[in-house]
Order: sequence, then C-alpha cells, then structure tokens
Amino acid sequence: MTATLEVRNVSKTFESDNGDRIQALAPANLGVKQGEFLSIIGPSGCGKSTLFNIIGGMIPPDSGEVIVNGVSVSGPHKDIGMVFQEESTFPWRTVLDNVAFSLEVAGMEKKERLEKARHFVELVGLTGFEHHFPHQLSGGMRQRTAIARTLASEPRILLMDEPFGALDEQTRLLLGDKLLKICDALKQTTMLITHNITEAVQLSDRVAVMSYRPGTIMRTIDIELPRPRDSELISTDKFAAYVGQIWEDLRTEADRGMKAVGEA
Amino acid sequence: MAQTGMNPRLRRQVLTLQVLTPVVLVILWELIARSGLLYEGVVPTILEVASAFWNEVSSPELYHHFGVTLMELFGGFTIATLIGVVTGIALGSRPFVSSVADPFLSSLATTPKIIFLPVVMLIFGIGPESKVALGALGGFFPIALSTMSGTLNVRPVLVDVGKALNLTRWQMLVKIYLPSLVGPIIRGMRLGLGVTIIAILLGEIKLSNAGLGFLAIEYYNTFHIASMYSILIIIFLTALSINAVMSYISQRFDRA
Ligand SMILES: Nc1ncnc2c1ncn2[C@@H]1O[C@H](COP(=O)(O)OP(=O)(O)O)[C@@H](O)[C@H]1O
Ligand SMILES: [Mg+2]
Repeated sequence: MTATLEVRNVSKTFESDNGDRIQALAPANLGVKQGEFLSIIGPSGCGKSTLFNIIGGMIPPDSGEVIVNGVSVSGPHKDIGMVFQEESTFPWRTVLDNVAFSLEVAGMEKKERLEKARHFVELVGLTGFEHHFPHQLSGGMRQRTAIARTLASEPRILLMDEPFGALDEQTRLLLGDKLLKICDALKQTTMLITHNITEAVQLSDRVAVMSYRPGTIMRTIDIELPRPRDSELISTDKFAAYVGQIWEDLRTEADRGMKAVGEA
Repeated sequence: MAQTGMNPRLRRQVLTLQVLTPVVLVILWELIARSGLLYEGVVPTILEVASAFWNEVSSPELYHHFGVTLMELFGGFTIATLIGVVTGIALGSRPFVSSVADPFLSSLATTPKIIFLPVVMLIFGIGPESKVALGALGGFFPIALSTMSGTLNVRPVLVDVGKALNLTRWQMLVKIYLPSLVGPIIRGMRLGLGVTIIAILLGEIKLSNAGLGFLAIEYYNTFHIASMYSILIIIFLTALSINAVMSYISQRFDRA
C-alpha cells in the first residue's frame, strides 16, 4: 500500500505581524517514487516545515500543487500520514489509546482497534508500555508513540518533520535503526525532513538538499548503500563520502542562514 | 490541612495547632459569654448554642430549608458550569472575539453579584428560582474565564493532529478540546463554586422565603441568637464538606 508523491511549483510567502513579507518557499519541485525513502535536508528556517505543512494540506500554497498518485489534492488527505516536529502525543491517553486514536475517530470497533494498535506498538518497540501515559516515558518513546499513531492509520505516504529533532545523538541513531526496520517491513513511501546529515544518509534512498530562504530544492543525491542497513553503516568510507558531499552543498546555505540570523 | 511534603516533626506541630485552634476559640467564646462584658443575647454560652443546635437538627423544618439551599446550589452551579464551559470554548476558539470579550468578562467577574439581585428578583420572584439565577450568574464568570483562557492555550500541534485526520467539529471538541480543558474547567469550577455559594446565601438572607440563609436571618429578626449561631455552624459545615468534595475531584482529575 504505497503511492507516489509529487510537489509541483509550490511556493509560499508569509506576512509577519509587523507587515514584513517573508518568502519561505520559492517554487519548489520534488517527486517521491513508490516505496522510496526520501529525506529533505536544509538549514533551520529554510522552509522545511512550511513544505511539510503544504504537502500535508495543513496550509494552502500560494502557487503550485501537491499530487498524490497522479491526482492533485488540497487539504488534509487520508493517504498522507503526518508526524509533527513538536511533541504531539495526547497526554491524557495511554500509549495504546494514543496509537488507536486514528482508528477510534474512524469508527473502528474497540476490540479490533486495540488489537491493531498493539501491532503498531510492537512495531515501534514499545511492547510493555501500552498502559503508560506519555509523561511516564522518555522523549524518544513519546516520539515513537507519535510515529506508531500515524502508522496505525495506514497512510500510503508517511511524512515526518524532524521527528528526532529534540533527541540526543545516541537515541537518534538507535531510533534511526528502528525506523529502518519499520520501513523495510512496511515498504512505505516516506518523506523525512531533517537537519541532520547522518540521519539523512543513514535512512534514505535519496536526499534532497534545500537552499536557505527562500527555500527551494537545490539538488537530490541518490544514496546507494545496501539494505537492510543499520547504524554501523556510519563508520564506512562510503557513508562518510555521502556525508561530505551533502555537507559541501549545505555549507554555503547554512552559512547564509547563520548570517541572516546574525543580522536580524 | 497538613501538607504531605513536610517533614514529620513539622507536620505534627501543624496538626497540633490545627486541633488546638478551635478548642482555644471555644474556650475564649465561653469566657467572653460568661464575663458579662457583652449582652447575653449577642454571645450566648456554648451550652445554649449546643442545645439550640440539637433542637435544629432534630426538627424536620431544618431539613426542608437545608434541602432548598442544596437544590438551589445544585441548580445554580450546574447552570453556571454548562453555560460557562460552552461560552468559554465558544469565545476561546476565536482569539479575536475573546480579546474583545475579555475586559467585559473580567470586570463583571469581580463585580459583586448581589447588585443583580433586584433584577433577578423582578424576573424570577422571591422563590428559589431567583437564588438559582443569582448563583448561576456568580459561578458563570470564573468558569467561563478559565475555560476561555484554557481554550486559547490548547496546544496547536494537538489540533493539527486532529486536522490531519480530518476530524469533524464534534470530534475535535470531544477528542481534543475537552480533554485538553479538564484542568482549566475544574480550576474554574473550584473558584465558581465559592462564588455560587456566597451569591445564593446572600440572596436568601436579603429576600426569600426558604433556605438556610433565610432561616438564619429569621432567627436574627426574632432574636433567637443561639439558634442563629447553630444555623451558621450548619452553613459552615456544609460549605466545608462541599469544598472537600470539590478538592477531591480536582485532585483526582486535574493532573496539571
Ligand atoms: N505562520 C507563519 N507566519 C510567518 N512566518 C512564518 C510562518 N511559518 C513560518 N514562517 C517563517 O518562514 C520561514 C521558514 O519556516 P519553517 O518552514 O518553519 O522553517 P524550517 O522548518 O526549515 O526551520 C521562517 O523564517 C519562519 O519564520
Ligand atoms: Mg521546522
């Protein structure tokens, strides 16, 4: 159950409170193939979340369109599952009830939905924590709960906005391994937004590099590393070469970003 | 009440003082009553109050008035809660409207509700209905204000999770807004309950034909001072128990 995703000429300009116009996205073009894992990498503030929100139908683009399986879509779409950058578990629900949320609102019967939710809890490695509340879990476990909640709605395209952004490096690598296993199992079309080069290379079939504001896709790089992968990969020469190559592209953009922030 | 976080020695001292305070007060009362410094009628002896208290609790009349006050409280507080929560959510989910409404609500919230008594009386008469209305009016403002600010502060990302799943407006309300608002609503209810109790008792004392407040003022007017004190004690104990129940509920459900 996968699909293709295409972003065609999508642009967005925000008007800030003091009337300044911030062009967050210059016309951006991008295609994600069936079952492909694509990462989008770019410096902070380059419009990654804006692109994520437009693809997910949370905000409308000023121009261009989002195409799922050849059909132009607007607004939230059931084929697209979103994992947000911010912590998004429901604090009043247990892990299991969080994961069952999308099934519950879709009207699935209780027994059936809990059974299904259990499967996804297991998939993200949280078995034994079904009846814990989010505040009893670590940040990484909460983020896995959020991922399982999105997976449980069985979207054909999985969109994730820096899901591991707030975690420490070790947790991030281990969760990356977990995510690799899940993706190998689900063979799902996935788009991951990140500002972490290691993470992008570790997980992706292809990495798209974004420029600093106004954000646009500068180039994409195929990551030809064998699958199944795990975090041991990061000590290989080939891995280092990819990281170097992406950093080369990102460097000038990150620099522009730093200067822009410094000036502000 | 003694705080649970305290060290045992300190907690014992607090408890001892808490038990001693009423004992000392009772002794002081008795001494003043017997000293002859004040009119006998103003400060009856403990024995007189105790026997009046006993007379009250063994007469069916008390329970009639007690029932009237409880029903007024229940009615007024229920209405305050329902309308307060609905208003709070309706205003809070529209930031523009809530910033327009906020100064009005806030200033009305601090206005003593007793000034509305004449209006309420004209509309509802002197029976329990006007006390229910006054109590509802009093409890409404803290509940609406707390719910409104809670609604404004519902985490946007949780609303986004609902949007991404195409939730209906009703699902949005029941599955995302209301659970997020449990804390603010309960905190508003705690404040509102106090105001409702005051408003209803004031209403009963000012103008009514039943209820504990009415009974107290009746005894005052007919110079049955010991009986009046015993009604005050009953009012005090009732408010204390209601407050204890509310505290329990808020500790149980408000995790914030
Ligand atoms: N709702 C908004 N209103 C005004 N400016 C916004 C809004 N959302 C994002 N921006 C601006 O657009 C730019 C891109 O933001 P974002 O897409 O969040 O970047 P990223 O996710 O890459 O860090 C930033 O400069 C940000 O301040
Ligand atoms: Mg972002």
